[in-house]
Amino acid sequence: MSHSHAHANTYLPKLAKIVHIKEEIGGERAIKTYRLEFENGDGFDHEVGQCAMLSIFGRGESMISIASSPLTKEYKQFSIMRVGRVTKAFHELQVGDVVGIRGPYGNQFPLSAWKGKNLVVIGGGVGLAPVWPIVTTAVAKRADYKDITVFYGARSSKDIMYREDLERIRGQATVHLSVDRAEEGWKEFVGFVPANVLAKKPDPKNTVAIVCGPPIMIKFVIQNLQQLGFTDEQIYTTIENKMKCGVGKCGRCNVGKDYVCVNGPVYSWAQLKDLPQEY
Amino acid sequence: MSMEKTLDKALLSDWIAAVTSGGWQVHGPALEDGIWTFKPVAASVDLDYPNVKQAPKDFAFPQREIFFAFEHIKGEAPRLKEVKPEAPQCAVFGVRPCDGRGAVRMDKVFSDNVNDPYYQERRKNTAYVGLACNAPPSPTCFCKSVGGSPVSSEGMDILLTDLGEIYIAQAATKTGEALMAAADKLFGKMGAADKKQLDKVHADAVAAPQRAVKDAKGAPAALKAGFDSAVWEEMAKPCIGCGICTFLCPTCHCFDINDEMTGMSPLKGQRVRTWDNCQFPDFTMHTSGHNPRETLGTRLRQRVSHKFRYFHENFGMLQCTGCGRCVSECPVGIDIVAVVNKVAEHVA
Ligand SMILES: Cc1cc2nc3c(=O)[nH]c(=O)nc-3n(C[C@H](O)[C@H](O)[C@H](O)COP(=O)(O)OP(=O)(O)OC[C@H]3O[C@@H](n4cnc5c(N)ncnc54)[C@H](O)[C@@H]3O)c2cc1C
Ligand code: SF4
Ligand code: SF4
Ligand code: FES
Repeated sequence: MSHSHAHANTYLPKLAKIVHIKEEIGGERAIKTYRLEFENGDGFDHEVGQCAMLSIFGRGESMISIASSPLTKEYKQFSIMRVGRVTKAFHELQVGDVVGIRGPYGNQFPLSAWKGKNLVVIGGGVGLAPVWPIVTTAVAKRADYKDITVFYGARSSKDIMYREDLERIRGQATVHLSVDRAEEGWKEFVGFVPANVLAKKPDPKNTVAIVCGPPIMIKFVIQNLQQLGFTDEQIYTTIENKMKCGVGKCGRCNVGKDYVCVNGPVYSWAQLKDLPQEY
Repeated sequence: MSMEKTLDKALLSDWIAAVTSGGWQVHGPALEDGIWTFKPVAASVDLDYPNVKQAPKDFAFPQREIFFAFEHIKGEAPRLKEVKPEAPQCAVFGVRPCDGRGAVRMDKVFSDNVNDPYYQERRKNTAYVGLACNAPPSPTCFCKSVGGSPVSSEGMDILLTDLGEIYIAQAATKTGEALMAAADKLFGKMGAADKKQLDKVHADAVAAPQRAVKDAKGAPAALKAGFDSAVWEEMAKPCIGCGICTFLCPTCHCFDINDEMTGMSPLKGQRVRTWDNCQFPDFTMHTSGHNPRETLGTRLRQRVSHKFRYFHENFGMLQCTGCGRCVSECPVGIDIVAVVNKVAEHVA
């Protein structure tokens, strides 16, 4: 048990102000990216891969991945897809509105253990957000890593999130974009993310691959990575389960003995394939 | 045990009065509408009773707990007011050994990883005065087969044993010693004859036949091997998902967190924790409709595997204490002992 937690009330959110909102994707399942600045001198540090419980008082809470790098201290960034009660309420908010935030929760990507390796980061849909801090942190510490490669796919070019950020890192990282169906003027890959991975053939030698996105995409990306020679220990992913407490007590996010809110959400495929498929 | 004394049964009410004047709210078993529950004790209490219908977990983990109140005036920042639990010192008389062991398991959950301040505050103000089971209070008891005993003092501050005219009171914690010391002159020295009778009553209690999980030590491995067994769906078929099994259980701790509104303009309300239940389908259902535990069988497997496998993997002890409540109270007769035995048989 960490001492700093001993007297704090983990269920009591801190307050944070929305200082920036970016509309990433429109439509039925819209995604917006929010930058939150803590109020009242509060705050917490986080590690790459961790999440936070965001609150809208009167609506409830949602567990959302922290999409900014731990190196960014001024704000924390979250990309939220509009799906239900809390996330819809989030999409109604404006810059200046104040929300609740508690955390950080969960484990982390072992970024420091990956120093000196090639990183292949593979995202689909809103699944780019949880792995994005890997990219931004590794790019900021560019000398610590060998090749950095990012695969990202969306249904159409209108559905690509972090578009400018992806363009900005080209040069320091190789970026492979894809859209599901052919479009006028689209010069990159057409097809699903797993196919793009297979076409570009990242070399497994001294490499880790991190994949996050819809479950079906994750499944096929992993199959294709294995086909390219990646071992189960070289493949990482994150899992989502319904969450309420964030601290391993409310009982609903478990996969076998693990509480995803504490022991996850980050798993190597070697670890995950031994757990019951209850996610 | 450090402090072991006799108490004349006629003096129980005097002891309770002394404990009460020491600042404790004393609770004891009371029969209400045909149901045994722990109620505040006014004068004295009859400890000659089977067991309470619902495990006494609510002293530390009430069914409803307010975390904080919020108020949000438009154009201003929301205001939060933490609600600290009002946790009077409670001494609960007549707690059965399975429920004392239940408290030990709840303590693990609510202190592991991050302390739960609400639970901790209530728990530190709760004392359990246990009562040994001279004979199993219910035909569904199976504590012995899951590592317990009808005379276990695990989780208790004091264990009382009924010797007919007197109780033997054995303190198991400093708090227990203090509760006895508060009325020191009421207690007598435990003589050799008392000790002999105590040992005999305890030995007889331990020898009394009970139902049994056949191989509780082997259960974690058996349930792992039997994860994909057809037994789960088969045995879960009659389940109506009422959740009685988990609400009554001394070690079920799952909960939900929700915002309750008390006013719309300004927006006012409170964030509340309430018990929840792994037998409800929406317990794990994602917003997308995807449900990792979609069927009755997967939910039964979760309840039973948590008690007999996952908890053991995390804390080195079974979570089920064999109180038998989920067996006797399930409206359709789903029997955790039979389920564990059957899955184990199936993989053997
Ligand atoms: C580790 C983790 C990281 C996540 N990261 C992101 C992210 O970066 N961006 C994003 O848009 N979404 C993310 N999600 C999913 C997000 O938490 C849910 O979409 C959101 O909680 C749905 O809440 P709602 O009130 O809008 O929907 P409703 O269906 O109205 O929610 C009802 C309740 O169910 C719970 N719930 C339902 N589905 C989920 C789910 N899949 N995960 C967790 N809780 C759920 C919530 O507690 C919510 O209070 C993440 C989930 C997890 C577990
Ligand atoms: S008490 Fe019986 S019927 Fe009710 S949820 Fe539990 S197993 Fe199902
Ligand atoms: S699982 Fe059933 S028998 Fe075991 S402690 Fe809980 S209610 Fe009692
Ligand atoms: S969210 Fe409560 S146990 Fe994981």
